[in-house]
Amino acid sequence: MSTRRWPRYFILPLGLLVLWQLWGMTLPARSRAPVPLDVLASAVDLIASGRLPMALLQSLGRVGLGFLVAGSIALVLGLLMGFFRPVERNLDPIIESFRPVAPIALLPLAILWLGTGTPAAVFIVAYAAFFPMIVNTIAGVKGVERRLVQAAQTLGVPQLTILRTVVLPAALPSIFIGVRLAMGLAWMSIIAAELAVGSKGGGGGSGGVGEMMFVFYAYYIELDSIVVCMIAVGLVALAIDHGLRWLQRWLMPWAEQYR
Amino acid sequence: MSQPVPSGPKLRLDGVRKTFTVPRSGATVVAVETADLTIEAGEFLTIVGPSGCGKSTILNMLAGLELPTEGTVAMDGRTITGPAAERGMVFQDYALFPWKTVFENVEFGLRYGPHGKGLSTAERRRRVARCVELVGLGGSEQKYPHELSGGMRQRCGIARLVANEPDVLLMDEPFAALDAQTRIILQEELLRIWGETGNRAERRTVVFITHAIDEAVFLSDRVVVMSAHPGRIIEVLDVGLPRPRTDATRTRPEFQALSQAIWNLIRDEVYRAATAAGSAGGARD
Repeated sequence: MSTRRWPRYFILPLGLLVLWQLWGMTLPARSRAPVPLDVLASAVDLIASGRLPMALLQSLGRVGLGFLVAGSIALVLGLLMGFFRPVERNLDPIIESFRPVAPIALLPLAILWLGTGTPAAVFIVAYAAFFPMIVNTIAGVKGVERRLVQAAQTLGVPQLTILRTVVLPAALPSIFIGVRLAMGLAWMSIIAAELAVGSKGGGGGSGGVGEMMFVFYAYYIELDSIVVCMIAVGLVALAIDHGLRWLQRWLMPWAEQYR
Repeated sequence: MSQPVPSGPKLRLDGVRKTFTVPRSGATVVAVETADLTIEAGEFLTIVGPSGCGKSTILNMLAGLELPTEGTVAMDGRTITGPAAERGMVFQDYALFPWKTVFENVEFGLRYGPHGKGLSTAERRRRVARCVELVGLGGSEQKYPHELSGGMRQRCGIARLVANEPDVLLMDEPFAALDAQTRIILQEELLRIWGETGNRAERRTVVFITHAIDEAVFLSDRVVVMSAHPGRIIEVLDVGLPRPRTDATRTRPEFQALSQAIWNLIRDEVYRAATAAGSAGGARD
């Protein structure tokens, strides 16, 4: 898309914001409805004080770490499960029986084992990110054209090398779909986990954007700030997805014409 | 690779039978019915026959991509149990790696397979460059397969095979997806690459699958004719036309007579298949 067309994308959202502001100004002052201008003021305050960027950074760090852990396990297991039938037969029942368990349902376990800080949060993120990545990796490996594998076999290339040099790149577009889905889920669950742990007096708070939202809600009832956090969470997710798509095009320049 | 002195046949099919089980019904389908065939070193052998005659199954068994249900397939007297670099293959749909350039595709076998062991990077690149030149793809080394025409893709497929220097070249309808003019050009170039004009002892063994009779006669030393349902070998014919083969070859009376003889062998079956397909598919064509 060309930059010339950008303004058009903003017409509808801006219009809605204006309507929302006008509607908000008709309400009595003691109502807690967050209106755009108040939210904006709150955003400026939160960003300028550095509180929001710090919280976002902490949450992002946890997502990155959890994502890396889950991604490396899912990639290796997924490649092996998709390529070697016996591996899949043995592991599939285990993975499929854990898959429906929501990440947030593991929070009590995570807190008991790992406390309320970063390790528990990373655990939840990794758990959330693991399943979309492994399912899409397996599907991608199974969807690899058999002819490509046969071509490598008739050149005498050993199976494990084929897995790395043929199956992995051929499955990459599908693996990337898993990565994007996983990133969304990971980001979603980190906020949920931090929010659920919240903040306890005398330490033991979760930290991150989730804790910030909890504090605004439970201690100050500042809806404007909560909306700022929500928007920030959404924008970060959007930025991450764009980054991933860019990475995908950079890693797989052939894929657009090929698919 | 030095060619071993051939004492027996290069390739041998001994009482080979291949059956498949249909997944849902559990019925058994015979793909190849008891085939015996010997292929000499340096021979250019073509298998022709209508669709479903099992010619591709035979090629896959020679490659080691499929194993026979009964009987043995052997190379140099050793039973084939799986794919190997000694038996390289060219595919009808090219099967090039779309994420690799022409150069990297041609380099693939030498880089990751056993035949590149002991080659320095420089030697490997020289050999790849030579093969790219040989098939007429010089200047397109850095292009990706999707940037090439069908004919150029198959040139790349042939270069990838030749660079790996296999003993046996297996070709599964390599020109079937190409237009008629490109086919004729590539047929002649294939014979040149094979070494038609050179020393007979230096030629590799080629097993070539096609459904085009004129292609089979033009290329081969011998033509194996197969029929379908069940797939079996019905005739093996010596071509005996002088080499090198040229445009003039196609107009020789022997060429025409042999093509006609092969057509007579499979004509009834092709008609039967065509009318069966026509009635099953409605009134089209």
